[in-house]
Amino acid sequence: MDEYHTEETAFAVEDVSKIINESVEAAIGGHAYQHNRVNQWTSIVVEQCLSQLTKLGRPFKYIVTCIIMQKNGAGLQTASTCFWDNNSDGSCAVKWENKSMYCIVTVFGLAI
Amino acid sequence: MEGSDTYLIRPNHQNKFKPAIVKECIREIVRERLSGKRYEPEEVLELSRSLAECIKDRVKNAGFDKYKLVVQVVIGEQRGEGVKMSSRCFWDADTDNHAEDLFINESLFCLAVVFGSYYY
Repeated sequence: MDEYHTEETAFAVEDVSKIINESVEAAIGGHAYQHNRVNQWTSIVVEQCLSQLTKLGRPFKYIVTCIIMQKNGAGLQTASTCFWDNNSDGSCAVKWENKSMYCIVTVFGLAI
Repeated sequence: MEGSDTYLIRPNHQNKFKPAIVKECIREIVRERLSGKRYEPEEVLELSRSLAECIKDRVKNAGFDKYKLVVQVVIGEQRGEGVKMSSRCFWDADTDNHAEDLFINESLFCLAVVFGSYYY
C-alpha cells in the first residue's frame, strides 16, 4: 500500500514555476499592452497553465490566478494567505514583465 | 459520535461553502479598513497582508469547517492604468467554490478573492 505515497505527493514548486513561465511566454511574450486583447490574454495564460498542470497527473486541486497590468508608474501589491496542510499543499507565484506590461501568475495546489 | 464526519465525502447543506455569505464578510472587512485611505507604498504591504489574515479568520469562523481556504488580496494604485485579473480552477465543482469583492476609491482599488476547497 505504501506505493501510493511516492515523492510526488508534495507540491513541486520548480515544475510548476517552469510551466507558468512557459505559458506566459507563449501567450504574451513579445506583445505590447492592448486594452482590447487583455481579456483574451489572461484567459489564454490561465487555461494553458491549468491544462499543463493537469497533465502532470498529480493528486492536486489547482487554483490559478493571473493579473496583467499596464506599465504606468502605478503601484500594485498582492498578498495571499491560506488555511491548508503545510506538508502537502503549496503555492508558486511568478512575476513576468516586458516593456509595456507586468504579468503576475499565482498557482495554489491543494492536495486531495 | 464525534468521528463520524471523517466518512463524509460531500458536505452537508449547512456546511457548504456559501459564496454570498463569504462575499458579505469580505465586503464588510474591506470597506471598514480601506474607506478614505490613500495608496501609500510602505503602508500597502502591511495592509494587504493584514487584510488577507482578517478575511481568512472571519471566513473560518463562519463555520466552513472541512474547507481549505485560499485568500488573495490585490491592492493597486489608481492612475488610469489598465488591469485585468482572471482565474481558473481545477477542482470539484459540486463542493468547491469562490467569492470575491472589488472596492474602489479615488486613489486605490482593492480586489479580494476567497477560494474554498473541500477536504475529503
